[in-house]
Amino acid sequence: MGSSETPPLQPIRPAYHVRILSDEQLGQLTAGVLQVLDEVGVHCPSVKAMNIYAEHGARVDFEKQVVRIPPDIVKKTMSCAPRFYRMGARSAAHDIQLDGKALYCATDGCGIETIDFTTHQRRNSTKDDVAKMARVADYLSSIGFYWPIVSAQDFPETAPLHELDAAFNNTVKHIQTETVMGAETARYAVKMARVIAGDNATMRLRPPLSLLVCCISPLALDKDGLESALVFAEAGLPVGFMSMATTGLTAPATLAGTVVIGDAEIISALVLIQMAVPGAPVFHSFMPGVMHPRTGGYLSSSREGSLFYPVGAEMAHRWGVPTLAGVFGTDGQIPGWESASEAASSLMLCALTGAETGSGLGLLESCTLLYPESILLDDDLYQRVRVEVAGLEVDPESLALDVIKDVGPRGSFLKHRHTRVNLRHRLYSDLTGQTTANGRLRDVVEVAREKINWILQNHQPQPLQAAQQNELNRILEAADHQIGG
Amino acid sequence: MLIQRPALEPLRTAYRLSYLNDGQLDALQEATLTILEDVGVRFPSDKALAIFNAHGAKVEKTSQVVKFPRDLVFQALKTIPRYFTMAARLPDFDLHLQDNVTYFTTDGCGVETVELDTGHRRPSCKADVGMMARVADYLSSVAFYWPMVSAQDFGPAAPLHEMDASWNNTVKHVQSETIMGELPARYAVEMATILAGSRQELRRRPNFSLVVCTIAPLVQDKEGIEGALVLAEAGIPVGFLAMPTLGTTAPATMAGALAMADAEIISAALLMQLAAPGCPVFHSLMQAWADPLTGSYVSYPLDSRARYGVVEMAHHWGMPSLAACFGTDAHAPGTWQSAAEPALDTYLAGLVSPEIVTGMGLSETYTLLYPEQLLLDSDLYHRARYYLMALDINDETLALDAIHAVGPGGHFLGQKHTRQHMREAMVRSITQELDASSHYRDPHELARERVRWILENHHPEPLEETKQRELARILSAAEKELGNG
Repeated sequence: MGSSETPPLQPIRPAYHVRILSDEQLGQLTAGVLQVLDEVGVHCPSVKAMNIYAEHGARVDFEKQVVRIPPDIVKKTMSCAPRFYRMGARSAAHDIQLDGKALYCATDGCGIETIDFTTHQRRNSTKDDVAKMARVADYLSSIGFYWPIVSAQDFPETAPLHELDAAFNNTVKHIQTETVMGAETARYAVKMARVIAGDNATMRLRPPLSLLVCCISPLALDKDGLESALVFAEAGLPVGFMSMATTGLTAPATLAGTVVIGDAEIISALVLIQMAVPGAPVFHSFMPGVMHPRTGGYLSSSREGSLFYPVGAEMAHRWGVPTLAGVFGTDGQIPGWESASEAASSLMLCALTGAETGSGLGLLESCTLLYPESILLDDDLYQRVRVEVAGLEVDPESLALDVIKDVGPRGSFLKHRHTRVNLRHRLYSDLTGQTTANGRLRDVVEVAREKINWILQNHQPQPLQAAQQNELNRILEAADHQIGG
Repeated sequence: MLIQRPALEPLRTAYRLSYLNDGQLDALQEATLTILEDVGVRFPSDKALAIFNAHGAKVEKTSQVVKFPRDLVFQALKTIPRYFTMAARLPDFDLHLQDNVTYFTTDGCGVETVELDTGHRRPSCKADVGMMARVADYLSSVAFYWPMVSAQDFGPAAPLHEMDASWNNTVKHVQSETIMGELPARYAVEMATILAGSRQELRRRPNFSLVVCTIAPLVQDKEGIEGALVLAEAGIPVGFLAMPTLGTTAPATMAGALAMADAEIISAALLMQLAAPGCPVFHSLMQAWADPLTGSYVSYPLDSRARYGVVEMAHHWGMPSLAACFGTDAHAPGTWQSAAEPALDTYLAGLVSPEIVTGMGLSETYTLLYPEQLLLDSDLYHRARYYLMALDINDETLALDAIHAVGPGGHFLGQKHTRQHMREAMVRSITQELDASSHYRDPHELARERVRWILENHHPEPLEETKQRELARILSAAEKELGNG
C-alpha cells in the first residue's frame, strides 16, 4: 500500500469566550498557592533538583527533601516562561503554533488494556496497538497531536521508547509522551526526537516531541519525572506538569482547596524548569478527580467536578503559560450513554476558556481501556463542539433575502439553486443517522468500528525515511541493551 | 401518601457569552423587517385579517398575505412585556421570568409510548400524560409541564383532556402545545378559571400557557392563531414557535432560515399585541435540517452552530425566549447517541440565559416516550446546572489550614475539613451509584428504577373534589360540542 495524505488539522477556534473565575478569585487562588509554596513547601526527592532550587533562592531542607519557595522567587522565575510556542511535527504542515486562538487535542494515553481489533477480546495493551492507533490518529482531523494511547507492555523496561518508535513511524503529527521517566530514558528519547527533527537547531525550533510529567498529590514531585523533564527542557523540548489531586483524599474536600493543592504542585515543578533553563517551553495541566465517598475510587467526572478543567485553563493563563486541559476521559466502561454524556461538556468549556491543548480522545474506564472505535465517537463529539463554537455567518449570501422573496409564503426551497449550493455545506455526522440497505438505522458503535477498520486498511501515513527508521532501531537496541538488559 | 417534593432547581447562570454580536443581531432584525414589509406572511383567518386591516397593515384579501410597514411593527411591539409570571397551582411553584434564571420543561406531544414494565410500544394515551405529570412534578429539574404525549384515546377534545390529566397530577405550571381553534381555547380558559377561582385571578396568575406553531415558509395556522387570540385576551401567555427546516421550508443557510422564521414569529406576536396590547407573549425558534440524502428531519447535525443565537434574537426584540434542549434523534434511551446529541444543549443555552426551555424526555425526534428518558435527561441537566454556577472561593473553601496540617505527601481523609465538606464536594451523578458489591450501576437501569419509585411513592396534592368535578363537567360539554372522535 502506498502512503496517503494526512488531512489538515481542524483545531477548535472558538468565536466566543467565557470567564469562569473573576480576577479577584484568581488572585485569591494564586495567593493561596504562593502561601503554600512558601510555608508548606513540596517534597522533592531529587538531589539534582534540590540543588537547582537551592542555587536559585528556595529554602531547601535536604534531609526531609522539602523545598519552600518564597513568593517573589516564584513570580520572578515564572515570568521567564513563554506564553506561546510551537509544537513541531514530522510534517511542517501539521506543526502546532500555540497562539491562544485555537484548541488542539490529543488522544488520551497510557491505557493498559485493549479490546482487540479482530477478536474483540479484552487483553493487555501492546506496541502494535500504539502503532495502529497512531495511524488512526494521523487520519483524524480532530487529533492535533498524539499521545501513545496505551502502554507497550510487550517491552517491559523500555516501553516508553518503543511507544515513541511506534508513534513516530505511524503519524506525521507531534508526539507527546507521558511515560518517559528518568534522565537515562529521557536522553534516549531526545536522541529519537533529534532523528525526526534532523538536527539540534530544528529540534529547538520545531520540537517534534514533548513530555508530560505527573506530580504526586499532595505536594510531592517524582524524582524520575523531574530528572526526565530537566533533560527535555535542556534540549528545548516542551515539558508540562500535571496534577491529579483528588478532592477529599489527596486534596481538601472543597473545590477551591483542590485547585490550590494542584496548582502549587504544578507551579513548584515549572519553577524548577525555569530555574534550570530560563525561557524553556512549559505547560500547565490540572486534571484533578473527585473521590467517590463510598469506594474511595477516582472519578474524573462528577457533576460539579468537571468544572475543574476550565478552571485549570484559567489558572495556567494567570501564570502566563499554556494549558493542557482535561477533555474527554470518561469513567464509562463501554461506549454508551455515560461516555457520551461526560465527554463533550468539558471540551466545550475548555475551548470557551481559551485552552491551547487538551487530552484526550479514545479511552474508557477513567483513561485505562482502549476501545478502538471509541476514538471515532469522541471525534464525532469533537466535531460537534468545533462547529458549535465557531460562530455564525450573517451576510447577504447567508441571509438569502432574494431567495425568500422568490419562494414566498407556502413555497418550498428544495428546488432553488441557493439550496443546492448551500445544503452541501451543512455538516452531518457520519456516525448517527446511517441506514442499512433496507432503510433501518444502524448502531453508531458498529458504524464506528467499521470506520476504524476502513482507516486501518486504507490510511498509511508518509513513512519515515529508511535512514531514520534505521537510526531509531539503533537507538532502541542500545536502550534495550542498557536499560532493559 | 405525600412525599416531600423537591424545590425547583432552575439554572442560575454565572457566566454569559454572546453567540451573535450586535451587528449580526441588527442585520438579522433588518432582514426580518424587510421580509415582513416586502414578502409578507399569510394569515388564513378572517378574524386576524380584520384586526390587521383595522391597524394599517397591508392586507391582500385573495392571497390572505399581510405586509407590515416597519413603523407598525415597532409601534405594536412596544407593548410586549419583557418578563411575566407563569403561575402554578401552588404559588411556591410560580415562575417569575427574570434575567439569568432559566426554567426547563418536559418535551411534549409525543405520539407513542414504550411501557415501563412490558417494553410494549403503543400509541400514547391520556393516562401517560397523567403518569408523566407526576414524574415531572417530583423532579427539581422540571419547572413546568408540557403534556408529554397526545391523549389519543380522546378525539377532538384530546388537548383539553391533556390539560385535565396534567392539572390533576402536578402542581406546576402547564404549557399546552395542542390547543388549537377558538372553541377549544374558550374551554381551556374556562377550565383554567375553575382552577384559578376567577378571571381576574387567572389574569394575575395564569396557570397555563400555550405554544402555537407557525408554518414555514411564512404562513400562520388559522386554528392556532384564533386559539391564541382567545388566550391573549384572557391574559394567558402565548408563544409562537417557528421550526424552519434548512433546505426544504427554509433557505439552506442558517442566517436566512433564522430571519424568515423570525418574521413568522414576529408577525404573530404583532397580531396579539394589536388585539390585546400588553398581553404576555414569547418567542421560540427551533431550526432543523433536512438530510440531503433522504429528506428526513434532523435536529442534531454536526453543525448546529449558534443554536442558541435564537435566544438573543428574542431578547433583541425585547421578548422572553422559549429555547429547545434535548429531543434526540436517537431511538432508545441510554444509548451513546441519546447522550451525545443533547449533552451540550443545557450548557450552550444556559450561557445566553433563555427564560424558559423545552424539552426533556422524548426520543425519536420528539415523538417517542420512554418514561425513564426523563431521568437520564434530568441528569444531563443537573451536570450543566452545577457547571454554570459560580465557584465559591473564600477562606473556608481555600482550606489553607487543612493543607498546612497535612503537608507534602499526607492525605486529607482524617481532616475535619474533609468530613465537613465531602458530601458537597461530590455530587453523585446517575452514573456513580453503586450496587451492593460497590460496582457502578447501569444508568439506564437505575433510571427505570427511579421512575418506578416516583410512580409508587409520589402523589401530588390532588385538586379539590369540587374542582375535579367542574373540570369533568366542562370536558363533557366540550366533547359534546367538539365531537367525540
